[in-house]
Amino acid sequence: MTETIARLYQHWITQDLQVIAGFAIVFWLLRAGARNERWQRAWVRMKRDRAGFIALGVVLLYLFVGALEILQIPGKQGSRSILDVFFAGIPKEKSYSAPLAATLLNSARHEPIIGRHWLGTDVLGKDVLVQMLKACRTALVIGGLTSAIYVPLGALLGVLAGYFRRWVDDVIQYIYSTLASIPEILLLVAILMVLGKGLGTMSIALGITGWVGLCRLIRGETMRQSERPYIAAARAIGQTHWKIVTRHLLPNVMHLVLISAVLGFSNIVLAEAILSYLGVGAPVGTASWGIMIDAGRTELGRDPLVWWNITAATTALFGLVLALNILGDALRRAFDPKRT
Amino acid sequence: MMPPSRALALLLLAALIFSGCDNDPNPEPYHKTRPDGSPWRVRYGGIPGDPKSFDPQFAYDEVSREFIQHVYDTLLEYHPMKTEPVELIPCLLAEMPKRENHPDGTVSYLCRLQPGIHYHDDPCFPGGKGREIVASDVHYILQRIADPKVESPFFAILEQHIVGLHETRQAGTKNGKFDYNTLVSGFETLDNYSFRIQLNGPFPQLLYWMAMHAMSPVAREAVEYYDGQMHDGKVRPTFRFYTVGHGPFRMREYIPRQRIRYERVEGYRTSVFPSDGFPPEKAEWLKQFAGKPLPLFDELQLSVILETIPAFVLGRQGYLDGITANKDAFAAVVTSTGELTPKYKARGMELEKVVTPGTFYISFNMQDPVIGKNVKLRKALASAYDAREYVEIFYSGVAPVSNQLLPRGLFGYDAHYIDPNGYDLEKAKRLLAEAGYPDGRDARTGEQLVLSIEEPVSGTEERQRAEYEVRLFEKLGIKLKINENTFARLLERLEQGNFQIGSGTGWLADFPDPENFFFLFYSKNFPREGANYCRYSNPDFDRAYEKMAQMDDGPERLALIQQMNKMLADDCPAIFQFDKAFYVAAQPWGRWTHNSPVIEGGFYKYHQVDPVLREKLRAQWNRKPLWPLIALGLLLVAGFIYAVRWNQRNHV
Amino acid sequence: MFSFIIRRLLYSVPILLGVILLTFLLDNVMMSPEAKAARVLGPKAAHQARVDWIHLRGLDQPMPRQFVHYVGNLVTLQFGTTWVTGRDLRDVFLRGAGPSLLITVPGFFAAFLASVGLALFQVFVRDSTLDRFLTFLSVALMSVPTMVYVIFAQAVLALGLNYFPAFGFNYEGLGSVRFLLLPVAIFILINLGSDARLYRAVFLEEISQDYVRTAFAKGVTGPRVLAIHVFKNGLIAIITLVVAELPKLILGSLLIESLFGIPGLGSVLVQAIQTGDQPVVMASVFLGSVLYLLSLILTDICYALADPRIRLS
Repeated sequence: MTETIARLYQHWITQDLQVIAGFAIVFWLLRAGARNERWQRAWVRMKRDRAGFIALGVVLLYLFVGALEILQIPGKQGSRSILDVFFAGIPKEKSYSAPLAATLLNSARHEPIIGRHWLGTDVLGKDVLVQMLKACRTALVIGGLTSAIYVPLGALLGVLAGYFRRWVDDVIQYIYSTLASIPEILLLVAILMVLGKGLGTMSIALGITGWVGLCRLIRGETMRQSERPYIAAARAIGQTHWKIVTRHLLPNVMHLVLISAVLGFSNIVLAEAILSYLGVGAPVGTASWGIMIDAGRTELGRDPLVWWNITAATTALFGLVLALNILGDALRRAFDPKRT
Repeated sequence: MMPPSRALALLLLAALIFSGCDNDPNPEPYHKTRPDGSPWRVRYGGIPGDPKSFDPQFAYDEVSREFIQHVYDTLLEYHPMKTEPVELIPCLLAEMPKRENHPDGTVSYLCRLQPGIHYHDDPCFPGGKGREIVASDVHYILQRIADPKVESPFFAILEQHIVGLHETRQAGTKNGKFDYNTLVSGFETLDNYSFRIQLNGPFPQLLYWMAMHAMSPVAREAVEYYDGQMHDGKVRPTFRFYTVGHGPFRMREYIPRQRIRYERVEGYRTSVFPSDGFPPEKAEWLKQFAGKPLPLFDELQLSVILETIPAFVLGRQGYLDGITANKDAFAAVVTSTGELTPKYKARGMELEKVVTPGTFYISFNMQDPVIGKNVKLRKALASAYDAREYVEIFYSGVAPVSNQLLPRGLFGYDAHYIDPNGYDLEKAKRLLAEAGYPDGRDARTGEQLVLSIEEPVSGTEERQRAEYEVRLFEKLGIKLKINENTFARLLERLEQGNFQIGSGTGWLADFPDPENFFFLFYSKNFPREGANYCRYSNPDFDRAYEKMAQMDDGPERLALIQQMNKMLADDCPAIFQFDKAFYVAAQPWGRWTHNSPVIEGGFYKYHQVDPVLREKLRAQWNRKPLWPLIALGLLLVAGFIYAVRWNQRNHV
Repeated sequence: MFSFIIRRLLYSVPILLGVILLTFLLDNVMMSPEAKAARVLGPKAAHQARVDWIHLRGLDQPMPRQFVHYVGNLVTLQFGTTWVTGRDLRDVFLRGAGPSLLITVPGFFAAFLASVGLALFQVFVRDSTLDRFLTFLSVALMSVPTMVYVIFAQAVLALGLNYFPAFGFNYEGLGSVRFLLLPVAIFILINLGSDARLYRAVFLEEISQDYVRTAFAKGVTGPRVLAIHVFKNGLIAIITLVVAELPKLILGSLLIESLFGIPGLGSVLVQAIQTGDQPVVMASVFLGSVLYLLSLILTDICYALADPRIRLS
């Protein structure tokens, strides 16, 4: 029984449906936000912000490439991603080769290579450009799953702490003080050693360590909002706590959640690189920028120099993180123009 | 803004700091010249880790041995130049031990120490002067090995052979404390320098043990003095991290995780530079050192360098006396024919091949229901493994691919052996079909065969290797699930038997005897007590092993070894990958005098160095070009002026 | 004021206990006693040696008893010995603190000066293209992973141009500086981007205040306003942010130290993680927590000093 369930889960249709469902949820949330007046005003301001718009475009581009890799279609030997199909023509070489080179890197023997590689190949002969694009999936999966964990956790606990105060606040503060006082890298490594390696467990670990910042922020903002007269009025007319939280408080702090999520995404992607260096990164065989950078570390000491691997990964990583940061800044400006 | 005078001062300060910079990371040597006016000779080496201990009866790992060998000599040692075959020569002993066979089957060895060898001067001795090494010191070694507090890993092995060692631990330990008045009955002191060791039966490997630091004499005074307790207001170091030796060097400084420095001891006479056994290509050059007193240089600086790239970089800059060709340095240093690349040859370096008696193999769990019962499946996997291509990608094609259990250089190694389970992809696919999994799918259910493989993954290199190995096996159409482990966890899983295929298993022998390798497949050596991770159990193999372990080298032993090789090939409990060998490019001023540091041994004392040549070449290799700085300075100034000017324009 | 500090200290105690409990649980789940023994004694040690090792360290006792023992050890600062070298951890930490501080303290002050300077300059030229460009530059600096900075610095400056030692460290009096220049420079680069943005926001907040507009109306010139009013008042807010960072300086920067081979606390930790050396990891967690709680208290004290309303509450 469990076997068939496991097999059904692994099937490419369920995996694709999950991804589409994820996107749909985000879309629905954004639409819900669009009904909010504050958000509408912010959108008007955003449209005039050129830098922010470009950044949004770049982020969407990355999302698109990542989606190409995440979505799977059936093939002869199991399912492959759309990106795989697109690049199926590119062969695997034996080992390193320079971008657009005709021979393998090992100069002594001049072995010809089969295909044409725009960004060269890595140690096992895989095309670097393809790896770089496939790594979008890893970054998006980790970023997405982690956000799915820490955003609800942090926002909800923050609102609860800020609104109810007293013992609820104390308990939540105790929990996050304890968690925050452990050096983050140690906690990550410890959790990963227990749960084992993998994109899912990495997301869980990053989620557990990441909700504290958001919680604090939302807690502060909720406390400020709670002082406002409209909350007191709501209490006065007898609205339940649950309604106040969901109808009034949450929507009014959501803009902060959005900005945090966008900026947090960039930090998560950067963190993945560090975790790879420490040896608790993505599993073997997964394409990831962090692994490429880590491999690049030793490759730069080679003679002849192998620079294309680390350069490709850094550029891709930099592009995404920069775009996210600029987008976050633009959002901040859009929601609160006084604080430019 | 900032007054120009202050800016100028800052610039001058920066320039001053910068000019004092150079990229030499080594500290100044202890002296500049020897007493006789010739230059002070220093050698610089790199070690990939910190030592676990300096206690010879406790340290059992390669890194600690690297630190101990300069300070403690051994009873016997390996001839520094003879490697095919290796030869043991006396070191602390005056001559090779005499073997005595007794009618009841027991064996004993009669040994005599060199008179007049002293421990180094140290405050633990009365008057601070080191005393002479005597036979009772060797007895003290055996007592220490029996002492449970010392936690000596050698006890388990030696107690099986040396008479009375096991009883000594039982009788002498009360409440965990060992009484050093308990004597080892198998040890007989004949006079100040002579002693006899009594064994249960033939144990020719004892001579190899005497070449290990496990049996290096230590002074009882030192062990008792350095107890780690407070005396007279100061805490004394523990003997685990303090040396009072008798070797050619004395430890002067040890900064953990940074470096360790040794200085030569005056009056060392235990060994001199040999006069025979010179390899022909170096014989002319080596003649100048024949018979000279050791060591040939004065100071040794070993830096702890944990990562491989800095070691390579420092070697290239001339701050280390050798470049170890690891994976990234390989293509740069070694050509595909096993020679030095032209770039490094032009520098005047020399390539040395270091062969250690070790081998890597992939283990199959013979007790696993899928793999352990299906010999054709194992053979299929073995035939799918292309060690040659692996070595080509990761080692430029020069690490020796192994096709049998024994590594090169050992008695019993067959240079003409052809492995029946060698690489043959077609044959592998055929065997897989015969095993019940045509094209990787189960013949009955059509399911793809999924096997799990344990990989030690603790760095980029290992990650890439794991990926490559999996790719090799997946050519058969099966699917491999990689279990990434740290080395400790890998060992745990191997010991628990919680695996199907275990990669990264290997063995570095303590001494060049085939018994040390076939031991790995002996059925009485199952984990957790032993290292037979494959859990291979074959009574015929066991019988052959027991006979062969006690024999001396000869045609009979060879026949048994060949039998055992055949059994291993038939049952295929493991895939043999390659031997542990690596290349070192020696700097032109540090040509190697010895052949290779085979296993244990104080080979460093035979090293030489030419400091004058080193200074010259270092300066040449580390020139500092100034143009980038000038360019940067101009750029900064220009940018600053532009920014100020532009701002004035806009904010007037 | 005194009672305030006492109250904060008391509040930290249950947090510390929580941390200890968490690390103890993690410690025991991460590696079984067998694995720990194998790690220390090496693969060639006999099984009996491992059993003895476990018994000697009391790892076969029931959990609650081990926990009490553990807490007692930590509180009396008996961290035990590392597994890899067997050295006393107190010794290791004390030795490691030196090089760490030699990088983080100068780096911190230099980064602070540079960030404040850059932020002030940006406020001076606010709303101009230069301002926007500098903001973009700050964000760009933040977006590059630390490792890439270090790798390229080593490859270009140390290897290619031979200006600085690529690796290593040595106490040589003034000569030690050559080992520190690159690490400190990178430390500054990493923090410059995010710090400058933060301080810029703080200063902009100040400059939009009414009293600044009054100053301008009175005829005070731009730079003077900046230097005296904005800077001083913004500094109060900044210092409270900065003070929270001070205790963590002792831990050093993990990546910089391990990549440059500086034997500071950061590289101790990285090595411990890579080799699975648990006593070091656990002791570092404890130490890190203590420092963090210390920084929280310091921050609160600073707030209290700056804002009398908090003090009196």
